[in-house]
Amino acid sequence: MGLKEYIAKRIVYSIILIFAVLTVNFLIFAMMPGDPLRQYMARVELATTQEQYQMLREQLGLDKPLHQKYVEYLGRMLTWNFGKGMIGGGVDVTSQIMQRLPNTLILMGTSAVLSIIAGVLIGALVATKRGSWFDTTMVTGSLLTYSVPIFFIGWLMIFFFAVQLKWFPIGGVEPRIWGRNPPTSLIEFLAGRISCLVLPTITLFLFSVGGWILLSRACILETITEDYVVTAKAKGLRERTILYKHILKNASLPLITNVAMTFGFLISGAIITETLFTYNGMGLLIWDAMRGGPAPDLPTLQAIFYIISLCVIVANFIADLLYGIIDPRIKYR
Amino acid sequence: MATRKARMRFAIKRFKGFWNQFKKSKRGITGLSIITFFVVLAIFAPLIAPYAPMDPKKDEDKYPVQTTPPRIAEKLCAPTWYKYLPWIPRGLTQVEELFWTDIIELGDASFLKFGRLEVTDIETLTSKETFDKYRGNVTSSYIELSKAAAGTPHLQLIFPNGTIKDVEVPEEWWTSKSPAVLGGEVGSPAYVSMRSFVYDLREKFGEDLTYIAFKVNYNYSRDLTENMELVPDFQFSSNQTFNEEWDWTTLTGSARLRYNSLEGVDKDGCIEITYSPKAGENESKVVLKKQFKYPYYEPPLSFWGHISLRVQGGPVSLVVTVQKEGEESITILKLRQSEQETYFHKVISSFADEVKQVSGSLSPEKAILPSPGDYIFAIEVVFNGEDDTTVYLDDVNLLLYGNTFGLLGTDNAAGSSYPRDIFSTLVYGTRVSLIVGILSALFGTLIGLFLGLVSGYVGGIVDEIIMRVADLFLVLPTLPLFIILVVALKLVYGIVSMWNIILVLTLFGWMGFARSVRSMVLSLRERPFVEAAKAAGAGRFYIINRHILPNVFALVYITLATSVPGAIITEASLSWLGLGDPRIPSWGKLLYDFQTSGIAVTKGLTEYWFWMFPACIAIALLAMAFILIGYALDEILNPRLRMRR
Repeated sequence: MGLKEYIAKRIVYSIILIFAVLTVNFLIFAMMPGDPLRQYMARVELATTQEQYQMLREQLGLDKPLHQKYVEYLGRMLTWNFGKGMIGGGVDVTSQIMQRLPNTLILMGTSAVLSIIAGVLIGALVATKRGSWFDTTMVTGSLLTYSVPIFFIGWLMIFFFAVQLKWFPIGGVEPRIWGRNPPTSLIEFLAGRISCLVLPTITLFLFSVGGWILLSRACILETITEDYVVTAKAKGLRERTILYKHILKNASLPLITNVAMTFGFLISGAIITETLFTYNGMGLLIWDAMRGGPAPDLPTLQAIFYIISLCVIVANFIADLLYGIIDPRIKYR
Repeated sequence: MATRKARMRFAIKRFKGFWNQFKKSKRGITGLSIITFFVVLAIFAPLIAPYAPMDPKKDEDKYPVQTTPPRIAEKLCAPTWYKYLPWIPRGLTQVEELFWTDIIELGDASFLKFGRLEVTDIETLTSKETFDKYRGNVTSSYIELSKAAAGTPHLQLIFPNGTIKDVEVPEEWWTSKSPAVLGGEVGSPAYVSMRSFVYDLREKFGEDLTYIAFKVNYNYSRDLTENMELVPDFQFSSNQTFNEEWDWTTLTGSARLRYNSLEGVDKDGCIEITYSPKAGENESKVVLKKQFKYPYYEPPLSFWGHISLRVQGGPVSLVVTVQKEGEESITILKLRQSEQETYFHKVISSFADEVKQVSGSLSPEKAILPSPGDYIFAIEVVFNGEDDTTVYLDDVNLLLYGNTFGLLGTDNAAGSSYPRDIFSTLVYGTRVSLIVGILSALFGTLIGLFLGLVSGYVGGIVDEIIMRVADLFLVLPTLPLFIILVVALKLVYGIVSMWNIILVLTLFGWMGFARSVRSMVLSLRERPFVEAAKAAGAGRFYIINRHILPNVFALVYITLATSVPGAIITEASLSWLGLGDPRIPSWGKLLYDFQTSGIAVTKGLTEYWFWMFPACIAIALLAMAFILIGYALDEILNPRLRMRR
């Protein structure tokens, strides 16, 4: 089987997965109890007469049979026409998402990149010194950050760096004192934005770095005992050459899948971190859509759900391709 | 029989071997001891926790059933051990506050405004530039202190050139209501209007008045108070305590007071006051008194009193007062009661309007106990008329609620009128975390094991379906999905129950394990011992049960241990987001209550850290214990990770 066939197979597989996700997404929301129109009206504080209500129902196609609704839903999702959400009295969902997506991408991207780099490097270092006190402390430390709930880390960050030391603001995307008129100078603007980013980024970093350390350590330990490493040692290669050329390259395979998954989940954001720091991103959007009113904002949630799943599928697809390219042992099954 | 015995012996031997290895793992032992600790806590929670975790009531069974029992403590109390912390201020504390003033001309009228200066160093105020820099927002048109002053404040003027001059302010200027505490409502900040004074100053100094600061020095009292119970033996159940602790006087000889051990609400003793007027007499009075010491500079947060009485004969008036020695007494209850068959039960709450009215203060607790000293709690029974009258008094008590309580203080009583003891909630919360964590990990692992075995051993279309469903589940974003599912279940059932959360966690906790079991089964299936068994005519079920399962089981233990923490943390996170069971005390609920208490984050984290940090630490500890055990098991049971010796 050649590379082309492999790619074609993955594409077909991914498309099937997308449809499966779309169906699940449809079914979850279709099975949600309650009348979505009533909830919507309660949420946007819209009062109607019975006739107007019936007219709206027909207009929105809520009385149609399920399969017809499903087809229409597929059409809307595939053309990225998500309609109007309930947040802010019926603002376009796409614009809502577009407004908040950059914030989340910056926050999650920075923390993901930092924690992956730091985690893999520390993991490699620790694996080569297996059994030393450094190894023991790093592993225990990683297990610790691994088991601490993220809001605890966030609260500690706020407590020490925002309340006690007052180095960074408590929350928000930009400093509160800006109000409606942000500073005109670029440096001041960037400094303000970055100062708001620091605490949530560190929180997410601390939360995820432990996992990366443990993962890369485990991967490297697995390859370190392979025969080709022993051979390389017997050949008299330098330790560092063995680490970078032989071990890291082979150990990176499982890491790649995880990196891809991380980036896939990037835009789902960190609901808890963003809620904690009132950081106006996708996580807070999910939260607002879920709880910010008398009823959940279904159109927004459905759209976010679809987009997140799409990203994960695409990231998985890319990971599979990379896997195939990097690892010659995989014969594109 | 022999084989079973042999098998047992073998199992014990194997376990001993495993245990010997496990003992050597420090992480494993640490994890195991932490889990043991929490399990003990969960099982013996009723014995360890001093109060009920939800809606705790004080002495519920001791008060008559008609009375709503009192709370155990006030809302948002600090831990009792705060009194051992030397840096927590108490007693009289000196405060220094600086104010600026300005006069705004608008047409013909001129307005005066004052604002507080957030400066601690007076030196910085001597230049106009720095003064301008520090000038804050206008607060009001008078100098308003930020705390209630004890004693007369001392006012000084600071001039732009650095000279400081004392200013005599007439006592009346500090709007005064009580001799002990100055300013406005008793116990609230004092303020002084300096209108005429400032205009007077301007005549002298001209426009430079803008750069004059007012400095006010004053004392305010601050203390850590504990709950006090005036009549711990409030049922008057023994003659002796009554005689020792209470004093009584009668106005005329026709009224008498005695202890009656046969009467009372539960017929277990009460105070009996009889009035048998002589001819022509139509008034008498009995005063019951109890002396007590109030040791704190800070008034209590609130009080709750109780009295039960029954009247036989003519009507009586009852007055309950509290008096500081050497000062006027303050009434907290006035009652007129005529004859009745059964006992009348009366609650005296500092929040009740009638108590506020009768005491003449909006915060009666501050009015009756303004400062430390000797106090007298008195009940006056006034008789009128010429009928023979008997009054039975029972269940008399007065609870003073302080601002410290228990090991970890109290919460804000969200969704209830009874503040909860945080330590008790913490102890009981162990149960939820353990149950949810272990059960959902167990169910998830078992489902994963089953599906992995089926998928790996049966293969074909079944394998394909199971693995594709697993792929699909892995693609869905976990936490948002959990939130949506829990909300959907909440919409269906009206409330989130613990079992809903276990269900959701189980539903999405099997995929990873099913995958690893499948790959393991795939490789085991090709091993010679399975082929040998097949050749010998063993059935599918036999092979899975006897040859494949035992080889997979090491992985089951490891997965079990490592998936518990995820479940615990997810449960806590969902509760933190408000998607927990509101009827059960859990760590997540504790955190949610803190999160939604309306206390600003800055204040909450500094002043109420004992509210949520212990719960956070408990979650982290429990999760870590399982991870440590999983890690230790992994090192022992996973042959690839075994140390090479």
